[in-house]
This record gives sequence, C-alpha cells and structure tokens, in this order.
Amino acid sequence: MTHAGPGPYRRLAAGFFMALRLLPRRAFGAGMPMTDPSPLDSSDISPPGASAVPGVALQTAVGAGVLLVAAGLAFGALSIPGDAGYGGVGPNFLPWVCAAVLALCGGWLVWEARNGGYRAMAEPTGGVRADWSAAVWVSAGLLLNAALITTLGFILSCTLCYVLAVQGLRRAAGQAQAREPRTWAMDVFTGLCISAPVFWVFTQFLAINLPGLTGTGWL
Amino acid sequence: MEILDALMAGFATAITPGNLLWALVGCALGTAVGVLPGIGPAVAVAMLLPITAKVEVTASMIFFAGIYYGAMYGGSTTSILLNTPGETASMVTAMEGNKMAKSGRAGAALATAAIGSFLAGTFATVVVTLFAPTVAEFAVKLGPPEYFMLMVLAFTTVSAVLGQSRVRGMTALFIGLAAGCIGMDQISGAARYTGGKMELLDGIDIVLVAVGLFAVAEVLYAALYEGRTKDTQNHMGRVHMTRLDWRRSLPAWLRGTLIGTPFGCIPAGGTEIPTFLSYATEKKLAKGKNRDEFGRQGAIEGVAGPEAANNATVTAALIPLLTLGIPTSNTTAVLLGAFQNYGINPGPQLFQTSATLVWALIASLYIGNLMLLVLNLPMVGLWVKLLKIPKPQLYAGILIFATVGAYGMRQSAFDLFLLYGIGLLGVLMRRFDFPTAPVVVGMILGPLAEAQMRNAVSIGEGSWLIFLQRPMSLALLVIVLAVLIVPRLLQRRTRA
Repeated sequence: MTHAGPGPYRRLAAGFFMALRLLPRRAFGAGMPMTDPSPLDSSDISPPGASAVPGVALQTAVGAGVLLVAAGLAFGALSIPGDAGYGGVGPNFLPWVCAAVLALCGGWLVWEARNGGYRAMAEPTGGVRADWSAAVWVSAGLLLNAALITTLGFILSCTLCYVLAVQGLRRAAGQAQAREPRTWAMDVFTGLCISAPVFWVFTQFLAINLPGLTGTGWL
Repeated sequence: MEILDALMAGFATAITPGNLLWALVGCALGTAVGVLPGIGPAVAVAMLLPITAKVEVTASMIFFAGIYYGAMYGGSTTSILLNTPGETASMVTAMEGNKMAKSGRAGAALATAAIGSFLAGTFATVVVTLFAPTVAEFAVKLGPPEYFMLMVLAFTTVSAVLGQSRVRGMTALFIGLAAGCIGMDQISGAARYTGGKMELLDGIDIVLVAVGLFAVAEVLYAALYEGRTKDTQNHMGRVHMTRLDWRRSLPAWLRGTLIGTPFGCIPAGGTEIPTFLSYATEKKLAKGKNRDEFGRQGAIEGVAGPEAANNATVTAALIPLLTLGIPTSNTTAVLLGAFQNYGINPGPQLFQTSATLVWALIASLYIGNLMLLVLNLPMVGLWVKLLKIPKPQLYAGILIFATVGAYGMRQSAFDLFLLYGIGLLGVLMRRFDFPTAPVVVGMILGPLAEAQMRNAVSIGEGSWLIFLQRPMSLALLVIVLAVLIVPRLLQRRTRA
C-alpha cells in the first residue's frame, strides 16, 4: 500500500471541512433573522458598492473597548479576596483569567483592525448608515418604561413604551402616516390591547407580581 | 424493560389533562415564535422564565420543551416562505426551500420539512429514551476534573470552532464568563463586581442577558439599520407532496437523522455543522436532473435532509443537557436556567432524584412531536397569517413581552435599565459580527465550570496536575486541543 491517493478517511475528513467552510459567516449569530443576501431583496437607500461593515476607526474603538473592559475587570479583581481555602484557587482566580484573556483579545482586535480590518467579517444586514432618530424613539420608550413602571403601573408604562417604539420604527420605515394623530391613537389603542391582557394573564392566572397603578391587579 | 416501565410512568404523568394542555400551549407558542421574525425560542423561554416561580416544575418543563421544539418547526415555515430564518438552524432550509417556493413548490417544501422534522424528532427521542439513562449511569463516575474538561470542550466548540473568527468568539465567551462572575461567589461567598449594589449581589439573571441580547437588541437594530429593508413573501400554494417527492424525501430524511443525532449527543453544540453536512451530502448524492435543481429551482432533498438533521440534533442535545448538565446552545442554556430556578441541577443524579420529571419530559417529547405535525401540516395556513403582522407593531410589541420577562423575574426596575444596556451591547455585537451564543453559554455554564475547577484543584491538593493525572480528563484535554488545532492544520495543508 503506497500513498496512491487520498484514502477514504482523508476524503471523509476533507468533506467534513468542506462542509464547515460552507457555513455562512453569520452561522452563529443566533436568533437573528437574516435578510436575503441578494441585493434585490435587501434593497435600501445605500449607494451600490457601499459596505455596511464598520470602518477601521470603529473597529479599533471596539477593540479598545474590550481592552477597557479588561482593565475594569482587573481593577475590580483587586478588591476580591483571594484566599483559596483547601484548593489552590480562590474566588479571584476566574476574574483575573477573564481580565487577562480579554486584554489579549482586545489587543488582538485592535491589531486586526489596524492591519486590514477584522478577519472573516460578515456583511451586516440592513442599511449602511444608522437611523439615529429612530433609535432615540425606541430608546426613549425603553428608558421611560424602566423609570416609570413602578409609578404608572405595568399597563400604562408598557403602552407608553410601545407607542414611542412603534413611532420610531414607523419613521425608520419611512411611513408617511407616522406623524398623523390617527396613527398615534391607533398605536395607543394597540399598546393597551397588548399590555393589558399580558398583565392580566400574568397577575391573575400565573400570580406573578407586576406593578399596577392601583392595587387591584386589574390596572 | 426498566426503561419501558419508566417511560410508561412518564406517559402517565405527561398525559394528564393539565400537562397535555401545557404541552399544546407550548407547541403552539413555540410554532408562533418560530414563525415570527425577530424572536426565537431562547428569548421566548427566557421571557417566560418568571412562571417558574408559580408553576409546578413538571408542567413548566413540558411547556418549555414544547416551545423549544415548536420553534424548530415554525422556523422552517418562515425560512421557506420569507427567506428570513427566525432561528439560525433553518438557514440551510432557507437556501433550497426558498428556491422551491419561488418556483411554486412551497407546499411540497413545507410538507417535507414538517414530516422530516417529525420523523427525525421521534427517532432522536427514541435515542434519548434508550441512551440517556446509560449516559447518566456512566456520568456518575465522572469527577470534577472530568466535568471541568467537558465544559471546556463545550466552551471551545461554541466559541472557537463554530464561529468564523476565533478571536471574536473568545471575546464573546469571556465577556459571558465575566458576566457570570458578577454577584456572590458560590463557594466562598465573596462579593464580586457588585460595586456595592444590592441588586447585583444575586448576579445578573440569564433572562436579562437572553432577552437583552436577542429581543431588545433586535428591535434596536431594526430601528437603526433595517427600516428600509423590504421582505418579500412567497406564495404558499397547497401543502402536498407527490409520490416522487416522497421517494426523494425519504432517504434524505433518514440520512439527515443519522447525521444529526450523533452531533446532538456530544456536548459540543450547534446545529450548523450537521445541517450543512446533511446539505452537502444530499447535494453530492443527487444525480442527473435532481442535482441540477440544487441552487436553481430548489431540490426537495436539500430541504428534507437538513430539516431532519436539525430536529435530530436539537432533540438529541437533550442528552448532554439532562445527563451532564451541559447546554450547547442558547435555548438549552436558558432551559438549564429554568431547571436552576427550581433548585434542580441537571446532571447524572437527575435520573434518580427527579425520575418522574425526566420521564414525563421525555414522554412529552413524543406527544409534542405528534402535536406539532398536526399543528404544522393541516394548520400551516394559520401560522402563515402571522407573517402579515407589520414589522413596527410586531417589534414594538416584543418590547412589552421583554418587559414582562425582565421585570417579572425579580420585580426590579433596575433590571430594566440593565436590559437596555445589554440590548445596546447586542446591537454592537451584531454590527461587528461577534457571535452571541458564547456569551449566553459562558454566563450560565461559567459558574458551574468554575466550581468544578476549584473542586478539582482541591482534590489535587492545590495541584493543577490533577487534570493530567486522570485518564479521562487527560483524554478530554487532548480532544479540546485537537478541536482547536486540527482544523487549522488541515486548512494550512489544503492551502499548501
């Protein structure tokens, strides 16, 4: 038996890694829907040929952010007691490992960013430019909800969150009717129609505490 | 025989009206969640985790398993009709299924996906029934060093092998591990990274991370970048398979099942490899006219095989979850969190201490599969209507459910602010192509792995050599290194 050609096992292994390479780049993006990669279906306002992959400066910033997280972890680890008891490993061991590895990763990311950009980047879905005003609407909804839920109660606070978020998403989609009072009224009604039953199911059937405006469990 | 008796007892528990209802609601909800874009099974289970405070453990685990399962069925519907897979597992289905739908064969694609999922799911459930007790018996013999190495294996595959970039995967994993450190250390009781905040002493809840990274990030991302993205929906047609479709699907289902099941059994995770492997196999084995259909009109084998592989993997993944306590995907990680809420730690003892629960859960998988076949074949038209919900309303509505999950868990408004912060992190990760699964798996498995590691080093009386001295843990260490090094070597070789 001489090495005349690739044996069956070699071929099998080669096939396996071929399949691995077939994996799309976002394969482990988990739970995120993908839009059709063909330019026709995911059409947006971006000029042809423009890439949505963030630029070098932003990539460097993310790498630096990871470095900062590592520094924060290391700083926090200083105040964790290290006495190990019987074993040789105390409660501050894993924090130090995390800090060290993240520092390494952060440095690596910065290096990659400055030397040709992150490797094997998948084209992010959606437009090239961010629609910040839409995000402000959604953020306002979420943050006001967090601030007001205990005072306004679940139903009203969540309706507010819904109305603000849907306003932002409508504007992002370029809907002309987003600003009309009729749309606002519809959205308030829809928000109530979602949050009220949710509140009742959770408080009445499942007996889970959610904050109400009143103590009745109905509002 | 012993297994059969246990299984029958499990059926007796699962078939009570209350539990059947939970299973049905879970399957229906799971299908809906799978069909709807922007929300996946991990988030759905996470949002509903607060019910663990009130609902009895068997009922809620049956419910969660139904969601876990149903989402796989629903996900294929969306990816065939809309080409936006609700969950990553159906991405392969989207490749061929969408092409079939475009050439007017959506009905056949939906049918082969549902029937294939049913067959594969049932087969894998049989495997779980037969082998989980054996694995559990074997796993009892494992000590902390072996457990630790198994968890390292899971970490390695989830972060370094499955993603495209090793460094981004590692970054995500260690962010998850660091997040898992926050709170009171479970061995010594020392506070870590709490910054004096009482709210952080209990740690960050998995609900916050899962809901924040997936649901809130998804909505923010949609507002930021996807406002102008248009989805096109294919026409459904009649759900029907011809005799030829059956003849072409059957071998593909079988092969997919055989490929998927072993991948689920090992604690390495991911449905991506088995589904793509199945797709590659089907493409390679197809001959003549059928082969030409791949990538053009859409070949039915390319839907049947991967769908079967997907469901087989997902079902068999319950073996490492139940017998070793090792989750290998987002959803199983959240399921592990659900067990923990009840003070139950899945592992080899589970089959002794919670035999009723485990067997009822396994029995409910058989029932759930059958329910899902009915829910998804004759009633598929109903689910497709969900795709008509306009995106702004759907995504804003998701935020209400996110609030329920995040707030309902601990009744703390602080958590809602934290949720927003995690959502922002999720947007960043998505835009810069960091994988998110390592964060969730690292966070939930991190504290367990840390405890095993510290116990192991204690057993070694402070010496790290303990990991090399025990044959099993040494073998696992070698596997971990091989998983890290071999693909790279092969790559270099093919390049040279």
